[in-house]
Amino acid sequence: MSSDQSDVLRGTLDLLILKTLTLEPMHGWGISARIQQVSRGLLDVNQGSLYPALQRLEQRGWIESDWRRTENNRRAKYYRLTSSGRRAVGAETANWRRYVEAVELILDIT
Amino acid sequence: MSLLSGLRARLRVLRHPLAADRDLAEEIRFHIELETRQNIERGMSPEEARRVAVARFGGVQRVREDHRDVRRLQLIEDFIGDVRFALRSLRRTPALAGAAVVTLALGIGANVAIFSAVNAVVLRPLPFPAPDRLMVITEENPEKHWHLNVAAPANLFDWRSGVSDFADVTGYIDGLGKSTLTGRGDPQILETSRTLGNFFSTLGARATMGRTLTEDETWRNGTHVMVLSDKGWREHFGADPNVVGKSFTMDGDLVQIVGVMPPSFVYPREGVDGWRPLELNKANMGAVSFRRAHYLRAVARLNPGVTQAHADAQLQAVVDRLKREYPGTNRVMGALMMPLHDFLIGDTRLPLLVLLTSVAFLLLIACANVGNLLLVQAAGRQREAALRLALGAGRERLVRQALTESLVLSTVGGLAGLAIGWAGTRAFVRLQPDGMLRVHDFGVDSTVLGYVLAITLLSALIFGVAPALWMRHRNPADSLKEGGRGAAQGGRAKRWGDALVVCEVALALLMTVGAGLLVRSFYQIAHVDPGFDSHGVLSASFQLPARYDSSAKILAFMNELERRARAIPGVTSAALVSNSPFNGPSYTSDFIAYGRPEGGYGTEIGNRVITPSYFETMKVPLLRGRNFGPEDREGSTPVLIINEALAKSYFKGEDPIGQRLSFDKVPTAKSTWYTIIGVAGTEHVDALDVAPRIEAFHDEAQEPSNYMVALLRTNGDPIALAPAVRVAMRELDPAIALLDVHSVDELRASSMARARFLTTLLLAFALIGLTLSVVGVYGVLAQMSRNRTREMGIRIALGAQSAQVRWLVVRQGLRLTAAGLVIGATVAVFATRVMTKLLFNVSPNDPLTLAGVVVLLGATSVVAAWIPAANAGRADPVVALRAD
Repeated sequence: MSSDQSDVLRGTLDLLILKTLTLEPMHGWGISARIQQVSRGLLDVNQGSLYPALQRLEQRGWIESDWRRTENNRRAKYYRLTSSGRRAVGAETANWRRYVEAVELILDIT
Repeated sequence: MSLLSGLRARLRVLRHPLAADRDLAEEIRFHIELETRQNIERGMSPEEARRVAVARFGGVQRVREDHRDVRRLQLIEDFIGDVRFALRSLRRTPALAGAAVVTLALGIGANVAIFSAVNAVVLRPLPFPAPDRLMVITEENPEKHWHLNVAAPANLFDWRSGVSDFADVTGYIDGLGKSTLTGRGDPQILETSRTLGNFFSTLGARATMGRTLTEDETWRNGTHVMVLSDKGWREHFGADPNVVGKSFTMDGDLVQIVGVMPPSFVYPREGVDGWRPLELNKANMGAVSFRRAHYLRAVARLNPGVTQAHADAQLQAVVDRLKREYPGTNRVMGALMMPLHDFLIGDTRLPLLVLLTSVAFLLLIACANVGNLLLVQAAGRQREAALRLALGAGRERLVRQALTESLVLSTVGGLAGLAIGWAGTRAFVRLQPDGMLRVHDFGVDSTVLGYVLAITLLSALIFGVAPALWMRHRNPADSLKEGGRGAAQGGRAKRWGDALVVCEVALALLMTVGAGLLVRSFYQIAHVDPGFDSHGVLSASFQLPARYDSSAKILAFMNELERRARAIPGVTSAALVSNSPFNGPSYTSDFIAYGRPEGGYGTEIGNRVITPSYFETMKVPLLRGRNFGPEDREGSTPVLIINEALAKSYFKGEDPIGQRLSFDKVPTAKSTWYTIIGVAGTEHVDALDVAPRIEAFHDEAQEPSNYMVALLRTNGDPIALAPAVRVAMRELDPAIALLDVHSVDELRASSMARARFLTTLLLAFALIGLTLSVVGVYGVLAQMSRNRTREMGIRIALGAQSAQVRWLVVRQGLRLTAAGLVIGATVAVFATRVMTKLLFNVSPNDPLTLAGVVVLLGATSVVAAWIPAANAGRADPVVALRAD
């Protein structure tokens, strides 16, 4: 994956992860499955970039993690939003909407 | 909050990288498991399910690498980005950045210079093995007001034998004597230290060539030996590699060089050329003089493992025993033991502490100034910050960038400060008075570098905190709404700025009061009347070699020298005295007048030997009686001239002329009785800030001494006489060298050299601090005037005179300064008590100094307010109202 592509997609992925976590804390696989489910199969998260993204978000202080036991008594790392992460979702969503608007404006010029 | 949790996550990763790796591995495993299960539910076989799951995941190794990269790069990337951003924004406001760097460089530079001195003197350990085992033992006598005094040899030997905790005790004469080396061209003068034989072994120093002294060499045995220092070896013996074993003529004796010391061993004083044993007379060991004459600095080495307290207890037991066994000399003679290091730095501790405090204040003032500058800058960048916040930058990122900017500023300032400080240490070393610091040469070593790093970081924190916090709490909406101008008007930024300036003024006051007190004290010392006329007199000392072994030979020499000195053109009078001016008496002793009851003795009378023309040469008045004359010779009645201080105290209400004095506490049949024939004016024999003592003058004709100081008075420049005096001396005896040739005015100046140096330094720092604080006040008022231009314009439009508007600014300046002065003055009343020991004839709470400083700072604040006030007064109402 080229680096510019990954930059754009990185931002989008972050937003998707954050949005997913607004509902409830989840582990990595759960987040990936939820995104796929909610987007009706259209968005297939590159699983290779999921964990680096989670790491990045954690270092930014927008999500926190801790190890818990699943229903099957397996050990898994669960992620949840922090208060600033919650604030960031709103900001990032607004950013995304503005970005989309801008792109549309340009695409409309023909 | 999120900044913390983000930090925690980062720290976790940094501290346990392996654990982070393991965690990730487990997460991936879990993920693939669930994916596999889902695939099985979708109908794949277990092997296929797993294969597909792994494939879908992408390269696991790649994921792990990416993960690791994210961890590592994020930190560095962020930091480099912040630094680049900081440099860019600083480049946009070069004047501000430049001002900040200069201010910081001054503050940090001053600290580097002073701390280097403190490090060398206080922190660096002594150049001996196990230096903390070395103790100094001093004699204490409350009756004679002796404190930290040198010891008598007999007492020293008793301490040595009586205290088992001491591995050894040695002694040496405190200070350097002068030995004249002859037979190699012109006579050369070597600074010599006289010690006991066990000097080197007790301190633990070894020679690089040959050997050091042995214990038996303490005692006179007809031969003479010397150990050279590295300096002495190079300067006087041409670094001759075969010098060990060779003999040379020193002070008329044949002395053999037995060893050379390494360059690091320069004890007891820097500049020592060599060490010679004292060559005490073993036959005298039991004599009273051995216990009565005090001239040895005693240093003991404790046995390994013993505590100072334990050794001290043993020492005190011996001291008590000596008090009982020798009541004549030791009845009230106590002993004090302290670590050698503490003793050596003793009287430099306070001046260094005062200097360190002064430069610390200077740095704080500098930080306050830079803090204000940054606040102004932050206020100016509000719009930009607001936009960035709106576009999604985290508030934490802005704070982090503000702090990084502070760090960059302080690093640049720190480097510049290091350069300034290094130059400062060079200047300090060159300009300091001789012997002021234990270590003469010092520089910037690793400890100092560490200190610079610490204060640089600390400064960044101090001045960076204010703008960073301000940045944190700004609501971007407000900034964008008001058009970016109103925010700095009131509220937090202004309060911070005001608070910083008030602190600056308080600190500047403290610095200036401290310097002012020292200036007054120095002035007082300089104006003390020494009791003699120090202008136009040359002083030169000399020592007669052992070949002048009879009074007749000595007197013949002295008389002839005086005659020749008087014959030198330009000399109005000449005399000889046994010790140079401002150097103290030749020795002190007890005394008693004939007919006084038992216990009616006095102590600590100064003794000097003079020729009769002394009083005329030094212009000391002879108040009563007569001077020494030709009738006073060896063999006739011993005569004495006392000074007025003794006449007024010991002979109160009586006429001392004709009375007799003996220099014993309790006279015996063998005591010599001197008849008092005259009373002379009181002189300051020691330094000017020491009270004049009671003194007795002996007649050279009756008590010839082979060490004398020649005093020559002239109407012109006394130093011009020096060559002629040298010629006269050489004609009399080419083997004798003139030592310590100075004008008495020079000696007077040197006696005040330390005070002058300290005062100059503190004054310089105070002036810098004062200037910085004036700049600080100016800055805040200028900002105020800029921000309130609109308000000023409105006021003028409504009819206010420009003088009234100007007054608003000046009033604010006065308010801030007054607050600072009140706080500073209150602290000063308590803080300056620390300086009491450094002050002569000036109280630390001297009202004149305090009032003067308050007026000075008040005046400077008016000066600082001038330009901003003028600008405010010129505010054009039209322009002001339009500006938005």
